[in-house]
Amino acid sequence: MNLELPLIAFILATALATAVLRDVLAAIIAFATYSLGIAVVWVVLQAPDVGLTEAAVGAGVTTVLFLLTIAKTVRPSGDRVLERLDVPALGVTVLIVAVLATTLGALPEIGAADTTVITSDVTQYYLEHAYKEAGVKNAVTAVLAAYRGFDTLGEAVVVYSAGVGLLVVLGKEVFA
Amino acid sequence: MIDLLVTRDYYVASFLLLGIGTYVMIAAGNFVKKVIGMNIFQTGIFLFFIASAYLDGGSPPVLTDSAPYVSPLPHVLILTAIVVGVALTAVALGMIVRIYAEYGTLTEDTLKEVRESE
Repeated sequence: MNLELPLIAFILATALATAVLRDVLAAIIAFATYSLGIAVVWVVLQAPDVGLTEAAVGAGVTTVLFLLTIAKTVRPSGDRVLERLDVPALGVTVLIVAVLATTLGALPEIGAADTTVITSDVTQYYLEHAYKEAGVKNAVTAVLAAYRGFDTLGEAVVVYSAGVGLLVVLGKEVFA
Repeated sequence: MIDLLVTRDYYVASFLLLGIGTYVMIAAGNFVKKVIGMNIFQTGIFLFFIASAYLDGGSPPVLTDSAPYVSPLPHVLILTAIVVGVALTAVALGMIVRIYAEYGTLTEDTLKEVRESE
């Protein structure tokens, strides 16, 4: 409970650092730190599977992809450490956050026992039947691989298409 | 008001992350930075989903633990979304490398000038 607010402050601070740092390498490092903070948030919110994936894929693979990209291209030159403030972009941002914030009162309290997600029939069905029907004690694995197997198949198709797309786009540069 | 913010702190954080992501996507001149902004935006959405699955005093949805559990369904959706997000990032970065090889720049404004002068 006491971990909550410092953690949120940490992820917001690292996200802000990512936004204001002008050097792309510095922004990538700040973003990796941010991903690590988010992975801890998933664990605090009792989502260990998502935390593992985030730490391996978000903080790991994504960072490597970004670093490979700047190794193949350039970093912005110049002495300035911070980005210039973009006022129109800030206006759009404030507008979006303000519109989203108006929905806050309609959202249920976090962790309440009577939220739609927790009391939903689907959640209860998965928790009751996962072991009986799928034979897996981890309900997330049961839903991912059995009940929503087609979703996962779709995900595999997306990853495959991304691989093909990369080959098409980069064929000349990297693989020639 | 304060009560509203404290009981829904993760939702507030999620909205702010969506804001920061949008700002970076619009304001950054560098394409790599724009992709980083897109990733921040994505994690903002992930935070919204995972926070909605949370239950005070709930265990992770592993049935060897004792009830009550947090909801497994949003976790599954976000697992899929994380992997799809990485695929998206990979393709976007591949295109950025290609743009650099073709035009020799990663800056939005310079790219526009180069394209117009052709």
